[in-house]
Amino acid sequence: MDVNDAIHDQLRKAGVTLAATLPDDWVAPLIGRIDKDPEIRHVPVAREAEAIAICSGAFFGGVRAAAVMGATGLLTCTGELATLNLRHQIPVFIVASRRGSIDDHRIYQEVQGRRTLAVLDAYDFPYHVVERAEDLDCIPDAYETCRLQKRPFVLFLARKLVKGRAP
Amino acid sequence: MRASEALSILAKHRGEAAVVCALGMAANEWWAATASEDTFYMHGAMGFAASFALGLALAKPDLPVWVINADGSLCMNLGCLLTEAQQAPKNLRHFLVDNGVYQTVGAVPMINRGRTDYAAMAQAAGIGRTATVSDTASLEAALPSILAGDGPVFANLRVEPDPSHRAIPPMPYEGPEMKYRFGRALERRLGITVFGPQGY
Repeated sequence: MDVNDAIHDQLRKAGVTLAATLPDDWVAPLIGRIDKDPEIRHVPVAREAEAIAICSGAFFGGVRAAAVMGATGLLTCTGELATLNLRHQIPVFIVASRRGSIDDHRIYQEVQGRRTLAVLDAYDFPYHVVERAEDLDCIPDAYETCRLQKRPFVLFLARKLVKGRAP
Repeated sequence: MRASEALSILAKHRGEAAVVCALGMAANEWWAATASEDTFYMHGAMGFAASFALGLALAKPDLPVWVINADGSLCMNLGCLLTEAQQAPKNLRHFLVDNGVYQTVGAVPMINRGRTDYAAMAQAAGIGRTATVSDTASLEAALPSILAGDGPVFANLRVEPDPSHRAIPPMPYEGPEMKYRFGRALERRLGITVFGPQGY
């Protein structure tokens, strides 16, 4: 099974039926899988924080949602994650690319690589980095952890998982 | 038309709608008019009440959902109009309280005040049904049409800025309490499960 099919499959196992998305090139193939799934309401957005708020509203409709975005977009959401999700203790499950890792040789991603986890630590937002396809079955557990901790949870997708090893 | 008058009229026509309020003046006036618990009053995330309401509307397509937005908030997230247009939720009504100022910080003038036509922007984004009203009689007359038929509908309520700088008390619940009040109210009304068996 293709890795993006496997991620999509695990999101389904976690009960996700709504996904709000804005792509970077690492998560775009996953978003393509979501878009083709008639069982998941796909909500493309114009800015990543929209995805956070849409998933938060869906929570109150009893729907399990996921926000899918790139790491750069995740950093743009920190204010909303703090003042909506942290303030009200609303869980939101985020799938994001782990840009700026040691195998991501892009100068415009290096700050994301150095500071994203530190920002999440400062907010006390839990996260987990998935590096191997055989570990993707952690996604339903990660989703439950997100619910239990009543706050944002970021599931990062490593480069070698979604893009293969760097040349 | 004063914001309090506009929101009192909306409250009379609310029916079974679940309501999401942008933070600040709109939320405070709605609380003053309704003391409603099946309303989500944003405490933060300025600009994103409309997105939150869209998520709820998509999650519960048979539930009428209103967002009571404010002009300052809308301008922080104009892209929400594109998302709303693309998703086209039939159950969503988007009310904009447009007073041209940042009321709660002392009625500081809004950017581009007096030149922005928000209903035209919504229309241009692809929201087919829009309205603009500036007085109570027009609002009373327009509401049956705004509430009938399929959404989304975007209604710009042009109201006067409040020069008194009166402090309208916000709803008195802290963030987590409001989450549980709103979620439990929807569970009771709709027979849905928002929180799990252990309460989270």
